[in-house]
Amino acid sequence: MKKTVFVVALSIAGFIAVWRFEPAPVTTTTAAAPSTSAAPNGSASADAATVQGSAEDSEFGTVQVRVSFSGKRITDVQLAQAPDSGRGRRAIPLLREEALQAQSAHIDTVSGATMTSESYIRSLQAALDAKG
Amino acid sequence: MTVHVEQVMGLPVSLDLRDAGDHSAAVGRAFAWLHEADARFSPFEPGSEVCRYDRGELSTPDLSDELREVLELCVHYEGLSGGAFSAWLPGRPFDPCAVVKGLAVQRAADGLRSAGVKTFCLNAGGDVVTSGEPEPGRPWRVGVRHPDLPGAVCAVVASRDGAVATSAAYERGQHILDGRTGRPATGLLSVTVVAADLVTADAFATAAFALGTDGIAWAAGQPGCQVLIVDGDRRVHRSPGLVPA
Repeated sequence: MKKTVFVVALSIAGFIAVWRFEPAPVTTTTAAAPSTSAAPNGSASADAATVQGSAEDSEFGTVQVRVSFSGKRITDVQLAQAPDSGRGRRAIPLLREEALQAQSAHIDTVSGATMTSESYIRSLQAALDAKG
Repeated sequence: MTVHVEQVMGLPVSLDLRDAGDHSAAVGRAFAWLHEADARFSPFEPGSEVCRYDRGELSTPDLSDELREVLELCVHYEGLSGGAFSAWLPGRPFDPCAVVKGLAVQRAADGLRSAGVKTFCLNAGGDVVTSGEPEPGRPWRVGVRHPDLPGAVCAVVASRDGAVATSAAYERGQHILDGRTGRPATGLLSVTVVAADLVTADAFATAAFALGTDGIAWAAGQPGCQVLIVDGDRRVHRSPGLVPA
């Protein structure tokens, strides 16, 4: 479980970095030690666990996260405590990371493509057709 | 289905309209507004309101409501991005393009909706406003251009009444500057933002791109936005709520 707590500590550090992103000095103190509980769902696999991170204080308020694991993999991160207002409340969602892929799915239009947009090409063709 | 395309603001603007009936008057007004916005707010036309403001020829009471809104938005997003997004860079003319484009295109879309047009996709050089559903029960499917493969998309996002904007350096070269350094922004290949309106989507995409790798954490914390960011290592960072279509 020590390793798990370490992982949680890392993820909290990540959270705090996200949440604190502001060009101003901020002091952080650890207010409570992490606590662990088994997964509430009895049908979950044996290595599933939910870990509560330490409560972190700063000038924006207190942040505490709850992390669910399946083995070593983080399956969910929730806020146990969040600042009542300000940017701390909204700066919480983590982004999923994945590999860059190319797709050829059916699309109606393209974002980020000025000249290569299919709709643009179709539109241009339509305009040319209309003109005769 | 009718498709209308015109070159405005140096970009192809296409309107894919799926409603039955004749909406040519509303479409004409929408494109007329885009041309008007281009003439009034272009930093490249010496006679534009933006250039006259920049030269100090307009006092505060002389500013139009639209220019005031542009200025307020520039100030707002500059503060929000810690100065990375800036229309006022030292040694350069006032350049509110990132805000103007989103505002102008969103206004055009709002005008279409006010005129009773319900189902359309307005794409201004890769910045998209959608309305309604192209087929019952199906959202507009907006592809996100693959940063390395111009003919491919790297993701498809769903949009009904909303907007999708992408900032990247692959079109028109390195055109986004980091206001903190005054140099071209580096670190990210593309930033796509899905939001309720194009003003928000465009400004957030530009600001996050200007922030470079700092923009990943920054964008994750902005309310009302879903992001898809491709970093310099070609990793994709996606908001959990951004469900691929």
